[in-house]
Amino acid sequence: MNDSMMPPDDNEPEQEVFPLEPRYHPIHKLPRKIYDFLASARLAMLLLVTILACCISGVTLWRGAEAGRMVFGTLWFNSILVLLVVNIACCFFGRIWGRRVTLISFGMILFHLCFVTILLGVVYNSLFYFRGNIRLTEGESLASGDPRSYDSFQQGRYFNFSRLKGETTLLKMLSGYKVGAENKRAAYEVQVGEGIDSTKGIIYITHKLSHHGVDYFNDREGYSLLVLLADSQGKELYGGHIPLQSIRQKDGSFTYSTGYREGERVMTDVIPFPNSPEKPLFALQLGYTLSKLNERDGVAHFALFPLDKNGKPLYDKPFAQGNAPIGGRYVAGDYQLAPKEVRYWVGMTVRYEPGNFIVLASLWIGLAGMIITTMGRMLRGRPKPRKGQ
Amino acid sequence: MKPELMLFWIAVGLYGVSTFSFIFGLMARQEKLFTLGLFSALAGFLPHVGVIALRWSATGISPFISISESITLGTFMTVLVFLIIQFSTKKVRPLGVLVMPVAFVLLGWAGTLMKEVASTLAPALQSGWIWVHIVGASAGFASVLIAAGLGLLYLLKERNSGPLYDKLPDLAAIDDLSYRFISGGFILYGLMLVSGCFWSNQVKGNYWNWDAVEVWSLVSWLTYGIYLHLRITFGWRGRKLAWYALIALVAMIVSYWGIPFSVETFHSGFRIEHT
Ligand code: HEM
Repeated sequence: MNDSMMPPDDNEPEQEVFPLEPRYHPIHKLPRKIYDFLASARLAMLLLVTILACCISGVTLWRGAEAGRMVFGTLWFNSILVLLVVNIACCFFGRIWGRRVTLISFGMILFHLCFVTILLGVVYNSLFYFRGNIRLTEGESLASGDPRSYDSFQQGRYFNFSRLKGETTLLKMLSGYKVGAENKRAAYEVQVGEGIDSTKGIIYITHKLSHHGVDYFNDREGYSLLVLLADSQGKELYGGHIPLQSIRQKDGSFTYSTGYREGERVMTDVIPFPNSPEKPLFALQLGYTLSKLNERDGVAHFALFPLDKNGKPLYDKPFAQGNAPIGGRYVAGDYQLAPKEVRYWVGMTVRYEPGNFIVLASLWIGLAGMIITTMGRMLRGRPKPRKGQ
Repeated sequence: MKPELMLFWIAVGLYGVSTFSFIFGLMARQEKLFTLGLFSALAGFLPHVGVIALRWSATGISPFISISESITLGTFMTVLVFLIIQFSTKKVRPLGVLVMPVAFVLLGWAGTLMKEVASTLAPALQSGWIWVHIVGASAGFASVLIAAGLGLLYLLKERNSGPLYDKLPDLAAIDDLSYRFISGGFILYGLMLVSGCFWSNQVKGNYWNWDAVEVWSLVSWLTYGIYLHLRITFGWRGRKLAWYALIALVAMIVSYWGIPFSVETFHSGFRIEHT
């Protein structure tokens, strides 16, 4: 070889030695040893095979979240990826230096360079990103720039919440939303920003909303019941929307209850009622069965548990348990509970990922490089068999 | 039997005839059997296209979603490319010795997994990226399968002689052709990966998640990336790479259609929680 770098009209063919070794060394002695190590094609091979082996073990020995913990999320695996990129950079720097640029070598440089820019994109992104989950009931607004508005979030070291200005509002959840003939199932009508500098739109699974570089994706949705609490005289004490989790039954239908998610599983649980910042009077487990006739109608199920002096629920036994239709009321000892209306809550993922653009653009450039190299080879035709081969 | 199923099994049957014609043709050194094999492959290809057309027209939803549909498309691409090669040159007739048995077995396997056509397309799949993605995947598979078939021809020609083998291109040419199909397959798998990243980014705002299907496709891509390095940087040629292409193909089929689909649901992140 190396036919790629060697135009056919070259008078003095280069000596061919495999593996191809770098010909340019910017530094000497010890640093040079390090450089040679980093720029060796053998290291490249070793790294590629290692990564391949890690990938295979990450989908056979371990799976899913465990694979993330054992392989893909670990420092050592990611260090190998970084080493790969450094290796590519050194290899190419050393080999390409001073050579003629042909269609083939140009494509190859592009291709390998894109690995380097992907890494740069990933690193840049990791410093500035924001990823949060925000949950809203129809009609509700939360301050976008307040960390407390998010159920959970992660951020890069240099992300600043002041980037998230104004409010996030869920105007309406639209079920069975159609675009042309396509059924998008769930779509959320949302508004983000402040005043005239706000963006309103409908998001569904393949369609996000962007506002000043921050993207909103739909994630999950469920029912939320507005429950009013009154004392035995009927005097209103409190009212609040209570989001419910959907729980798939064996027969494929769903029930809805207060609770939380743990990975793919949904656990039923109680919530303090009234909710903070009010002082809770008891712990409430709320369930809901949909009416078959009307989407936003049905029966609410209540179970009330006492609290100990620290405010922790005593799960052993509810002190009251009963049902009420939406619009009706349930009398539980000294309290009256009235399920007023059914709304939807939705969970959205909020993402600010300024580095993704670099990564995604690099992918196309890399692919283009690969195509250019191959085209170059096709144009050159099949190499004539050489002596000794 | 429904016409769709009937066509499907006719296609499988004709690919079976083609398979045995090619294999016996090679063993008996009878080139006439190769011709029979080629024409039964063509005859099987027509009902194969018919099945896809029928499924597609039944609901208007692209029938490339479930695992059996995915395999049906992969074999469709393979046989298509195979037929194009065979009708544009007479030099590589015995290529069918590897290509047709694989197409036969895979399509038969797809038949056992076949389900009714989906009546709706899940919202996450309603994306233009799906086209780039499945064309990349199926054409990539076709390319590397043809490359492996050429690898097999290389190994056969290296060991045998006779009129059958004399008609084949010389060893270096087979080697080079096989390499070109690997390059093509590598690009097409690259296209599949890139479009997958964009698709995922469109749906979740996240281009890579190390989920099983993603990692398996990275595995096949890296496998062929290593092939290219062995060739370009380490100067491997001929026999060693022919073996590599054959072994990589087996790994590909198992990993791509066997393992990820049997243990995890298709791109598990794309489900929606609520009805
Ligand atoms: C460890 C990192 C890597 C290094 C050091 C490296 C190095 C090289 C070198 C030296 C060449 C030959 C250039 C020449 O002709 O002088 C090459 C070619 C190539 N590499 Fe890499 N590479 C790396 C990673 C990758 C990866 C991850 C892939 C993709 C899976 C890849 C795919 C290719 C391809 C497709 C070619 C050209 C093949 C052709 O010309 O048809 N490389 N690489």
